[in-house]
Amino acid sequence: MEFTKHVRVREEKFGSVIFETLKEKVFVTNETGSSILRLLKEGKSPEEIISILDELYDSEPQKVVRDEVTDFISSLRENNLLE
Amino acid sequence: MEMERLPGDDFEDFSSPLFIAWQMNAECNLGCLHCCEEAGHSLPDEMSREEIFNFCEGIRNLNIPYMAISGGEPLLHPEFFPVCEYIREGNISLKVETNGEFVDKKVAERIAGLEFRSVQISLDGATAPVHEKLRIRGDWEKVMQATRDLVGGGVNTEIVFVPTKLNIHEVGPVIDLAYSLGVYGVYTGKIMRIGRAAKNWSLLCPSPEEYEKFFTILDEKVKQYDGKMKVYYYPYDVIEELKYRLEYPSASLLVLPNGKVKLIGPLPFICGDVRKQSLEEIWERYKEAWRKPEVIEYTKKVIDDHSLLANANRWIELY
Repeated sequence: MEFTKHVRVREEKFGSVIFETLKEKVFVTNETGSSILRLLKEGKSPEEIISILDELYDSEPQKVVRDEVTDFISSLRENNLLE
Repeated sequence: MEMERLPGDDFEDFSSPLFIAWQMNAECNLGCLHCCEEAGHSLPDEMSREEIFNFCEGIRNLNIPYMAISGGEPLLHPEFFPVCEYIREGNISLKVETNGEFVDKKVAERIAGLEFRSVQISLDGATAPVHEKLRIRGDWEKVMQATRDLVGGGVNTEIVFVPTKLNIHEVGPVIDLAYSLGVYGVYTGKIMRIGRAAKNWSLLCPSPEEYEKFFTILDEKVKQYDGKMKVYYYPYDVIEELKYRLEYPSASLLVLPNGKVKLIGPLPFICGDVRKQSLEEIWERYKEAWRKPEVIEYTKKVIDDHSLLANANRWIELY
């Protein structure tokens, strides 16, 4: 999965900022969102991301991590931020 | 109800600007009656090639996502293409604002190769006499050809229309023309009372009735071209923009041809100089400057007395 052509992502102290420069829309995420974005940039699939974050946040049940990652990626797609 | 403030809601949350608007030069072949920058001749102290590339290196290093280059007429600047190449190599999204008079097939091909976010062309009339009445020494036919060359070359092309008393009646036909040319979008909004526009205000400023009709036509065109071409208008005038920005400054810097950095176009305040300070330092100054009592008080004065907008280009150094 790749970001759409005019999308730029930058990490910030609070998480990340996603700038869709064609529509000139700015989105912000928290640190978890930032981790997902970083892994997407590295070319990881949703399943791989779920697995990595599941290990990272081992206090959370896997279903919670799965739902969060799935919702986040759906939201990126809905806003045409992901191909 | 008090809303919770979320990280990223405020410009101060960002580590550096999200957007740089750079007026690359002041030189322009035209003498538009409504030019906000009073462009024409070069400033005596414009940035050298080395200073320009130092500035652009700073933009790349800070991972600033988006930049707009305007002028003057930026295509007249000898470093225009080298700068655009350097910016695009840094994967920064780039928009260029031009009068279109120096775009031919060859230039359009070169621009296409650099994959700009867009090229915005100023078109102020659906007919040559109207466009050229406002854009002194302008050539409507050249703008038409430039648009065709850009669109034909696969460049994401946008039209910018500034309404004045002299051309507001052509907004509908301009949008129709833009669609026939195959552009991505048309952008418009109320004329700003800055620069040469302020000097020619009585000649240019549309009446409330003219604006009412203008926005009605725009609403119709938004619906007509929905899904086919973006028709976007900024509904606020410069005073409404200032009221908003006083509370919510944008995460952007406006850089002038001599490297000085303005807080915002309609205010005269300068918060830094890219030749003398790093962009990080200027960003900190910018954030601080918006909270300075002299900036807040002056902005409130401008909001009360719109004629003060005419002083926007008489710079006041804050540091």
